[in-house]
Amino acid sequence: MTTVLDRATASRADDPGPRRRRGRRAVVPYALIVPALLFYAVVVLYPTVAGGVYAFTDWNGRRAATFVGLDNFVQLGTDPAPRSALANTLLIAVSTTLLQTLLGLALALALHTSLVSRNVLRTLFFAPALLPPVIIGFLWQYVLTPSGPMNDALSAVGLGALTQNWLGDPSIALASVIGVIIWQNAGLTMVIYLAGLQGVPEELLEAAAIDGAGRWQRLRRVTLPLLVPATTIAMSLTLIGSLKLFDQVYVMTGGGPGYATETLSVVMYKEAFVSGRYGYSTAIALVLTMIVFAFAFVQLRGLRRFEVDA
Amino acid sequence: MSKHSENPTRGTRTARTAAATLVLATTLAGCGFVNTGGGDGSDGGTNGTSGTVTAYVNTEQSAGLAPLVEAFEQETGSTVDVSSATTDELNQQLRVQLTSGTAADLIRVSPGSSSPVAAGVLGRADELADLSDAGWVAELSEDTRSLAEVEGEVVAFPVSRNAIVMAYNREVFERAGVEVPTTWSELLTACEQLSAAGVTPISTPFQGGIYLQFWVYALAATLVYAENPEIDAQMAAGETSFVSDARWNETFARIAQLNDAGYFSDGMLGIPPDQGLQSVATGESAMVLLVSAGLPQLYGYAEGGEEAFDVFALPANEDASSTHVAIAPDFLAVNAEAENPEGARAFLDFLARPENVEAYADEMGVLPGLAVDAELSSDALEPIMPMFDSGRTAGYANYLWPNGDVQQTMLQSGQEWLDGTIDTPALLEQMDAEYARGTS
Repeated sequence: MTTVLDRATASRADDPGPRRRRGRRAVVPYALIVPALLFYAVVVLYPTVAGGVYAFTDWNGRRAATFVGLDNFVQLGTDPAPRSALANTLLIAVSTTLLQTLLGLALALALHTSLVSRNVLRTLFFAPALLPPVIIGFLWQYVLTPSGPMNDALSAVGLGALTQNWLGDPSIALASVIGVIIWQNAGLTMVIYLAGLQGVPEELLEAAAIDGAGRWQRLRRVTLPLLVPATTIAMSLTLIGSLKLFDQVYVMTGGGPGYATETLSVVMYKEAFVSGRYGYSTAIALVLTMIVFAFAFVQLRGLRRFEVDA
Repeated sequence: MSKHSENPTRGTRTARTAAATLVLATTLAGCGFVNTGGGDGSDGGTNGTSGTVTAYVNTEQSAGLAPLVEAFEQETGSTVDVSSATTDELNQQLRVQLTSGTAADLIRVSPGSSSPVAAGVLGRADELADLSDAGWVAELSEDTRSLAEVEGEVVAFPVSRNAIVMAYNREVFERAGVEVPTTWSELLTACEQLSAAGVTPISTPFQGGIYLQFWVYALAATLVYAENPEIDAQMAAGETSFVSDARWNETFARIAQLNDAGYFSDGMLGIPPDQGLQSVATGESAMVLLVSAGLPQLYGYAEGGEEAFDVFALPANEDASSTHVAIAPDFLAVNAEAENPEGARAFLDFLARPENVEAYADEMGVLPGLAVDAELSSDALEPIMPMFDSGRTAGYANYLWPNGDVQQTMLQSGQEWLDGTIDTPALLEQMDAEYARGTS
């Protein structure tokens, strides 16, 4: 009996108990993500935080950085180049977000049919989104030169009066860049909407039709409200991407003619790698990050209010 | 009892943590994220003991150096490991490489203070080795030495010198009955004749602004530097400025005159350089102002190759004998932190031999970097050689400007100026503002 009791006592002493077992089980997942977290911290977090510190210095890449407080941010407020670039960036962001969303929605609605060639057309419209932005930039730089294919094509179909110096005329260069961005990414928005359209219950549309709703009313009262989540995703991705826009602009125009197409990202790049003002450039990067965060946050909060369940 | 049962658990946890840390460290080291400190430079792939010289040069230098690298390796048994990039990319990457201690032994640097990686800028920061005791220093021409020297020390070696020349399509000139102009008014007459013949007189691929700077430097060589060689010292002392100096105003007025007369390409701000050169090769345009290193590219666009073109010095006034040519040395320098400085210096000494100076110039169609007796087989630059031989040359204007932003502003705001958005004084004032920021 004593032996039995001792064994039972010993067994209880070895057994960590259900609470501790649960605790150990809960620790395992966290332990497993530690390597990934460490990797993320080393590759992303540390450089980001360490880089952010340089925004408060005059580091030029050579001599030791000197703390300058908020000088870089004050200069950012008074420098004409970043202010003009900010205006361009916001114009690009707003116009591409709206136009690309509308075009992507229109394409999705047009191709969410039983059209025989719909898959081919979907592929064609989506293909530009798969190409690297730099390739797109070089391609369109060639297409839009004064003697390039765009003007040749317009002349060939009797629209010679519409030929333009697409990238060399400051009054239309920014619009040309916006056009290229929308051309490249409208297919991506279309795919997001096509996925959203798959989630619109057929029975709701049928019920609306039985109740006498026409095509326009079904679109307005049933389809579009149910597409708000897709709109949230599409607009957020477009907005964030266009606020950070760099590759296509740098390749097609370098920010020119003059400063007509300069974005904040282009100014940031030039300040760091052309002029060697890394501290000032980092300040621009911080401001751009805050702008992207603020816009994305406000947009997400705003659009989520309109989301409804099917 | 409970104390006994906790201690082994903590020990196990510590051991596991240590093991995990070790595994992570090993993994990261394997991925190259952690410097294990194992490389002592003694293996065959590193410098120093193996006699390998690393070099980071621009693409033009890489092409010209290739045969000489081979000859050097055969002669010395050492290796020259050359990496290359376009000048723009190189300028952007080199700064980071120097800061992080990963720059090559031999590096391409811009002359003067024209960029954050120019000889003057890096030299003042003690990032370039002093080469003053090299034998070839005696062969430096005066204008080259002024750009290679920092505080009395020579810190750069000129592999070649480029000249800004006007290249023209011979057939187009002949068809229009145009003579090669030697004065400004003759240039205007030639443009008028070409325009009347239905040809764009001057191709101006000003997208990006790079080709605009050639106009400023070429005209300034005659209008500014030939008349007042002390202009840079005066500007540095604050005695004059772009906007207050009549010669600088005249330089930009000349460009405006050609633009206003319609002698430049239509839509010039949207034309990239390669298309501008192609238009001259096809005869759509008659001439283009470019650096001599760009001539091989121009030749490549024409069926007749080099024979289809000739060059002349851009006249800027009515006295043909006062026309100067803008020239620029193309530099290599030895990194002050080079792993194999002796090897790098030996390679420069090898390049400085007269036969190698000649070989490089012939290969690239450029002017010799050193003032040695060189017989060039290419006669592409023959028309400007008399000016070169008689010292009627001037460095590119921007090389002695205090920072690269003056040039950058000239290129960007210059496009607004060409478009008529701003006037000449506004452009020059902007350049003055950047000049006033001092050395970078």
